[in-house]
Amino acid sequence: MLTIKGLHASIDGKEILKGIDLKVKPGEIHAIMGPNGSGKSTLSSVLAGRETFEVHGGEVLFEGVNLLELNPEERARMGIFLGFQYPVEIPGVSNVNFMKTAINEKRKYQNLPPMTAAEFLKLMREKMAVVEMDNSFSSRGVNVGFSGGEKKRNEIFQMAMLEPKLAILDETDSGLDIDALRIVAAGVNKLKTNENSFIIITHYQRLLDYIIPDVVHVLYNGKIIKTAGKELALEVEERGYDWLIKGE
Amino acid sequence: MGLQVKYAPEIPEVFKCRVPLEDTGQVYLMNGFLRDSYSDKSGIDIVPGETSGFKINVEDGTAQNGSVQLISIRDSANTAPVSMENEINVGKDSTSSFLICTHTLSLNEFVTESFIKIEADSYSSSHIVLMQNEHNLSTHKINFIINLQKGAFVRVNIVTLHGALLENNIEASMMGEGAVCELNGIYLADGTQQINTKVIMNHLVPHCNSSQLFKGILDNEAKASFSGRIVVAKDAQKTEAYQSNHNLLLSRKAKVYAQPQLEIYADDVKCSHGATSGRLDQNALFYMRSRGIGSAEAKLLQQIAFVYDVLEKIENQELRGRLQDMVESRLRGEFSHCANCSMNCC
Repeated sequence: MLTIKGLHASIDGKEILKGIDLKVKPGEIHAIMGPNGSGKSTLSSVLAGRETFEVHGGEVLFEGVNLLELNPEERARMGIFLGFQYPVEIPGVSNVNFMKTAINEKRKYQNLPPMTAAEFLKLMREKMAVVEMDNSFSSRGVNVGFSGGEKKRNEIFQMAMLEPKLAILDETDSGLDIDALRIVAAGVNKLKTNENSFIIITHYQRLLDYIIPDVVHVLYNGKIIKTAGKELALEVEERGYDWLIKGE
Repeated sequence: MGLQVKYAPEIPEVFKCRVPLEDTGQVYLMNGFLRDSYSDKSGIDIVPGETSGFKINVEDGTAQNGSVQLISIRDSANTAPVSMENEINVGKDSTSSFLICTHTLSLNEFVTESFIKIEADSYSSSHIVLMQNEHNLSTHKINFIINLQKGAFVRVNIVTLHGALLENNIEASMMGEGAVCELNGIYLADGTQQINTKVIMNHLVPHCNSSQLFKGILDNEAKASFSGRIVVAKDAQKTEAYQSNHNLLLSRKAKVYAQPQLEIYADDVKCSHGATSGRLDQNALFYMRSRGIGSAEAKLLQQIAFVYDVLEKIENQELRGRLQDMVESRLRGEFSHCANCSMNCC
């Protein structure tokens, strides 16, 4: 599904990603761990197409298409979703209108007619239940006045609505209490199929108790320094990153 | 009795109001003259002013349902400069609501000046919405003078959508204790349009509140200025007066001049002012695009969001909804083919 080869990226002339290789197959959950400043968020931003980063080496293929040539909205319509670490507040744009616009733009890309109001509301209700969101959320401004946990639930809700093929969740667990964490994790598990894939970026093992990864990578200083099965996350939790960094 | 000639020109066919509301009376001002007088059961009378314009009388104790819409139209029947004097006398303990719309219906270089004097008697409550939609050859200067007596409340919401050179000057004076005056406005300009707003808020007596919230979106080479002055007299203790002006500049060549001023002679007051100008938030744009929303649509959503809180101040929900729609179609650049209008105004 996703193949990254030798990816280099920088911001303001500072190199952050120094040659990333990664392969994600359909139905797989990959976890990317690593200390602060290792490049985890940069990787997710580059995959989603944030223009503040400059890619100056390597390639990223998504279902055989060169992702780096596409703008963020084209990537999203093809089925890439980025769950933000810090979801943005958009006062004046209700969740309902935001999602309706997003869904219909995707349908336009798929040569489908816009959803009817009834179809849309049904879908909305169905997906809000996935993250136990209250109906009143839909009329409120996007993320406006939402607590940290509500914002992250809203990310998972948006993901549920858009049904991406590849979802990248950037530190979705940061700032969540245990209840919110469970809801978010349960949402991901409900949406998981044999065809879609997840890249879960996290600092801690905690989230991985609820979302069991197939592969765990450790990113350090812009490179993946270790790749293993789910047991790697536990080892990191116990021993920290130092042993991996020193062994590099 | 002399012969009375009623000035009652026809309303041009091309004119179609996009904000009619239920329970709304309508009166027309054609090139500065009131077409028909108006009176309703709730206690509102509208007659021609002494020289031009309208004179509204809201009887003491009026409790108006709905609103009256005053539609001011310039057209080719008179292309000379027009100056009109209007009065709104709001009686004690009354509640009333007026919507004033300005339009231009032929491609002439109209020059219009309007004076609107509002006398708000004690414990009255008035809501006034001004919607300006004129073409690119139109210059219109509107001067509001608002006097508030004891416990009076006046709220003016200005929605400036289109026009070559529009100037809104407002001077409000709090003359009786406990008066509250709220002024809100949005101005949208592109091309070489220019919109100037000038507010003077005079706090003359103690215990009055005022607030001002003005926001503008400027594209291309458009210009706007906002000059807001709050004056608190020596005796006007316990005054609360706030002002903010925020601007969104969509192009490098758009310009805004903001001049907030506080002039305070009392020593026990709460006053603040703030002015900003900025560009579209790249983070929010990326957020929306990462959900599949195209760049142009994301920019539009952000502009709608920017002026959202000002439109929220319009208390009539139905009217607010229609003005929100008009703002959206203005921002989408759809004003060049208004519904049922054969003119290409912009």
